[in-house]
Amino acid sequence: MAGKIPDRITTSQAVFILVNYILVASVFTLPRTAAEKAGTPDIWISVICGGVLSVLPAFLIACMCRKFPGETFFQFAPKMIGKPLALATGTLFCLYFLCYAAFELRSVQEITVFFLLEGTPNWAVAALFIWVALYLCRGGINALSRMCRLITPLAWTIFFGVCLLSLKIFDISNLRPVLGEGLAPVFRGMSVLPLSYTAGEALLFLVAFMDKPKQAGRVAVLGTLITIPFYVTSAVLTIGAFSVEGTVTRTWPFIDLIRSFEVALLFERFESLLLAIWTMQIFSTFCIALYGAALGISQMSNLKLNHCLFAVLPLVYLLTECPPGINSVFAFGHFIGDWAVLMFGGLSLPLLLLSAFRRKKT
Amino acid sequence: MWHGIIGWLPGWERLAQSLLILAVPLGLTRMMLWFRAEEGKASTRGQRGEGQKGGGVPSSEDTGEAVQSSIAASNKNPSVNGARGGGRDAEPPLRYCGRLQEDVASFRAVSSDMSDVNVRYLQIGKPRIPAVLFFVDGLTDKEGMDINILKPLMNAVLAFDGEAAVPPPEELKMIITQRILQVSEIEYTDEIMASLKKVLFGSAVLLVEGMPEVIVLGTSKGNTRSVEEPISEALLRGPRVGFNETLSDNTALLRRHGQHTGMVMHSYTVGNRIEKEMMLAYIKGIANEELIEEIIRRIRTINIDDVQESGFIEQLLEDNYLSPFQQIQSTERPDRVMAALLEGRAAILLDGTPFALIMPVTFGMLLQSPEDYYDRWFSGSLLRILRFVAATISLFAPALYISFLSFHPGLIPTKLAISIISSRQGVPFPTLVEALIMEVAIEILREAGLRLPKPIGPAMGIVGGLIIGQAAVEAGIVSPILVIVVALTAISSFSVPMYSAGITLRLLRFAAMFFAAMFGLYGIVLFFLLLSSHLINLKSFGVPYLSMITPYRMSDLRDFIIRIPLQLMKRRPTMLQPEDKIRKR
Repeated sequence: MAGKIPDRITTSQAVFILVNYILVASVFTLPRTAAEKAGTPDIWISVICGGVLSVLPAFLIACMCRKFPGETFFQFAPKMIGKPLALATGTLFCLYFLCYAAFELRSVQEITVFFLLEGTPNWAVAALFIWVALYLCRGGINALSRMCRLITPLAWTIFFGVCLLSLKIFDISNLRPVLGEGLAPVFRGMSVLPLSYTAGEALLFLVAFMDKPKQAGRVAVLGTLITIPFYVTSAVLTIGAFSVEGTVTRTWPFIDLIRSFEVALLFERFESLLLAIWTMQIFSTFCIALYGAALGISQMSNLKLNHCLFAVLPLVYLLTECPPGINSVFAFGHFIGDWAVLMFGGLSLPLLLLSAFRRKKT
Repeated sequence: MWHGIIGWLPGWERLAQSLLILAVPLGLTRMMLWFRAEEGKASTRGQRGEGQKGGGVPSSEDTGEAVQSSIAASNKNPSVNGARGGGRDAEPPLRYCGRLQEDVASFRAVSSDMSDVNVRYLQIGKPRIPAVLFFVDGLTDKEGMDINILKPLMNAVLAFDGEAAVPPPEELKMIITQRILQVSEIEYTDEIMASLKKVLFGSAVLLVEGMPEVIVLGTSKGNTRSVEEPISEALLRGPRVGFNETLSDNTALLRRHGQHTGMVMHSYTVGNRIEKEMMLAYIKGIANEELIEEIIRRIRTINIDDVQESGFIEQLLEDNYLSPFQQIQSTERPDRVMAALLEGRAAILLDGTPFALIMPVTFGMLLQSPEDYYDRWFSGSLLRILRFVAATISLFAPALYISFLSFHPGLIPTKLAISIISSRQGVPFPTLVEALIMEVAIEILREAGLRLPKPIGPAMGIVGGLIIGQAAVEAGIVSPILVIVVALTAISSFSVPMYSAGITLRLLRFAAMFFAAMFGLYGIVLFFLLLSSHLINLKSFGVPYLSMITPYRMSDLRDFIIRIPLQLMKRRPTMLQPEDKIRKR
């Protein structure tokens, strides 16, 4: 099982997976974290710039991976940087995937327990989520891609529909002045973005499954660019409705935004729809990360993928419950973001150079 | 510093929970594996059939008795194929010896306890060769037998013109079959049991003095139902034709669909004790060869003593018997079968049942009706969208009711919430129990309505539904809103064109209700994800079940929720990997 690639995905499916992987719970929190750092309404510029910038490491990783078609990072790394170093990097990546999955799960848990299910024990909420994810992941990459494909139209329609409705309380003057304090706040705001935009790491194993690995670069660029509108919409609408001061004081500013207006349609209030859809969206991210971690472990240790999937379950749960409170959850998220920058921003270029170099030598 | 880290470490409680999280799916998987292992021991599903490839004659492996004969349909020079008719007897089959008296005696011996087997002694024509005709009263077309068999045999003068004495057996056989008998379907056998089997299925068997082979004459005429409109799949527009219980009528209905030479019909015999004929139909040049091979392989693994209905075959062939979803569709409509064949699917027809099986099945088919294609594309699309909405309602409506009322009344409009809650004030039960009471009541009503005699069935249903609904509300057991929800659910589930798919939805509805009762809206979302995960992982004959919704190629979406105009439907569904991908240019 390990070492054998079970099935293939097309380029468009890879894009769907990547988009679903990037779009995460931080849509709800991004306006607050960015506004805290920047202090001006210009965070939407940060979001755009950050998105465009994050294309670069993703693209580099894609370039690296397509040099080894049909192999995941965990398989080709030993050839590239030697076995011990590859094992260390691989473990780090797996751990990263686990932490990322855990953070997403924790966000779902916090949101669900806060908005939907007061009094339901945390572990039950998490357990159900993990079990369903396990069931999906057992189907392999094709199941993941189909799930992403299934969720995408639902999620996008409802997300943008709800956003359109929220224009009711949108006030453009809250977004002014543009660049009132120069570019410095924009850059400060960008420091929280890695958590939202990390994309490259999914490519480490995604490219191996593509039937046309040559198009990996296209997948990286498209996948990242498609997600920018979501984050920009979330940032612009939230700041536009609540102003910077109002945004900073809310834990989940985007959900508060959706809660704060009523439209006399079927539902009157739409956060239930949004939460339902976004739970699915986070589910797909969680599954991809979980699958990545299990795949890495299985390929590094030559264990069966299914066994590894079972093995990572308690780890993910423990990591999920690690942060003691909501503030530590956000600290945890921030830590993961920094980790991603260091690992994928910092490592991608040297690795790419190394792979090019090694290739020439052989 | 240390304090901070310790604060992040999970406690024992968390460890125990994480073990629980590991243990539950592990246990479930173990149980599934055990289930499958047990089933693998009991069934022959996993075995590879060892017969020849390509729908030939040889039989299934172990018992060697499921003789797959291809009578009349394929053989120009008919003879009973590999007639090892001895059935369960292991010893060499009894054979005819050619001496009439002994043969008759041995035939009477094997059929001694079957008093419906009739004997007719006669003498053939001018040479006065003694002969005997065996047949079963009621199964044989007597009039035809009198005119086409008895009369020519007895009057045979011209045929023996040049012969001085009784001709030798081979020549006699030639003369009888080629110059005397006026029957199209003729077979020969020298085994007593094989001929008895034929006699019991309506053929007449002719024994002639001096001939070691007997002649089996196809004169069967059982009582059949005429072609009627199918009851379970009524349509407003479309042919008013349904299959009946006779295999030959059913294959004829398929052939009558239009002139075409590509339709293949392979005949198989299934059932170890009671043998039945079964036809595998597909269109050569469209259906994928691998798919057909896989179906044939599975057909060969059928090992059961009697196949009572095509449902037996469905259950023995399907991929995953633990799934609530049908992986093989049953239908009474020939047009539906033809449409499926033209998409590259295969169909199985069984003698004795009007239900044909279509395979492989994808999710979209459960909600499609042939009418979608007969009407213009606007109405077809509208009806499809309606059916999807109805299926969603019938799956989730009671669950949503439960979750909104017991967990988040804040999420529904305030006025509605107030009116629901005020109407629920006297209700002593939690919402789950309330919804279960009503759902179970309506399911019982529906089931009872099916069993009741036709004239009072619908009346009973209406009266029962109205009275129970009204009385339950007045008695304060349930809220009126719930009655609306339940009624809507029940009606929605009737709009699913496939009856068995409707049952699946009913089953899943109860599961959804329990999820909602435990986890509210979050539970419903996760139930949806669980269902999707199951469907995504489910395959029917290697074709992904959800391939309509999450297609490999976007062009498959043209025929899913929206039925695009026919002139734009240029390709067959790619998920079936048809040999000929282009429907029209």
